[in-house]
Amino acid sequence: MEMHIVSMATVTGTLLRRCSRLSAAAAPLSTSARALGGGGLPTVVERHGNRMVIGYGFNGEPNYIDRVDYPIPAVRFKEDNAQIKVLREKERGDWKKLTKEEVQELYRATFCRSFAEMQAPTGEWKLVLGGTMLACSIAVWIYLFMKVFVYEKLPDTITNPEKVEAQVQRMIDLRMNPVQGIASEWDYEKGQWKN
Amino acid sequence: MIRNAFSRALVAGRAGFLQVAPQSASVAGCRHMSKVAESDEQLTARYVQYFESKDIDHWWLSKHINDLAGTDAVPEPDIIKACLHACRRLNDIAMAVRFMEIVHFKCGNRVKEIYPYVLQEVGPTLNELGIPTPEELGMDKPQLALEDVYDM
Repeated sequence: MEMHIVSMATVTGTLLRRCSRLSAAAAPLSTSARALGGGGLPTVVERHGNRMVIGYGFNGEPNYIDRVDYPIPAVRFKEDNAQIKVLREKERGDWKKLTKEEVQELYRATFCRSFAEMQAPTGEWKLVLGGTMLACSIAVWIYLFMKVFVYEKLPDTITNPEKVEAQVQRMIDLRMNPVQGIASEWDYEKGQWKN
Repeated sequence: MIRNAFSRALVAGRAGFLQVAPQSASVAGCRHMSKVAESDEQLTARYVQYFESKDIDHWWLSKHINDLAGTDAVPEPDIIKACLHACRRLNDIAMAVRFMEIVHFKCGNRVKEIYPYVLQEVGPTLNELGIPTPEELGMDKPQLALEDVYDM
């Protein structure tokens, strides 16, 4: 979900870096042949272009990623163009002379999204809720289809009231479920239902 | 040497891999194997010292800010001031504004209590250096929208 550009050999590169006995100061940020001084992986494109490397980032690769737990990425977001270079010269002087728009320009040159934008709600919950309800309604429609077109009629042992009464009478005569069930609802002394 | 180490690590499996890792990961002198309990004052003093070093560069500034964010606490005003001065030495106002956003974020759900106190303590430094707070820039609300990669 974040905008990031990942070096092609991220995983293998990290593996190789741990295996090789390079000290921390000498460990370069990418695994290209050029960066590792001739050895290393062949033909890995330096994907960060002209963008200035400002740090280690979250995994040691020169990528840009907006993360609230690693707030300063490894590279600046934008390459320096002429307009930004002018602002950078101005940045060397007194910061009070920078207008708010210029500060925002400089910020956007280094960072893609501000914290507010990173954490802004996406509204994804509406998609999820809507999709779930749609699926449930399809299930209900399928059940209705089955009821109308697939299932046979209920047998007359259920639909015919005389037959149902006969069955209940048999349950009472047999004292079925006398503790909490149907026979417990019948008053045997008076010969009627308890209330 | 790299190829041999690679094949050795694969053969030795996960245990070998873990053995190799600490030896080459000796960064910033922190000990991975022993528990060192550090008090808040020691941590504050350490980070103030980091940010106050005269020859700080972008790499160390990023690293210390990321580590500070990793402690997942609101930094002391002393650390904030030292960091803002370090950004000034490096002529990077974007980092300063980002750092203030980080401080605001670390306040969590008690931002209404903590952030005004932070601004009160750090305000003079912000005015002295000419750094606008994210609120003044309008960055406390989202300004630009980024299309989700899954929607492209």
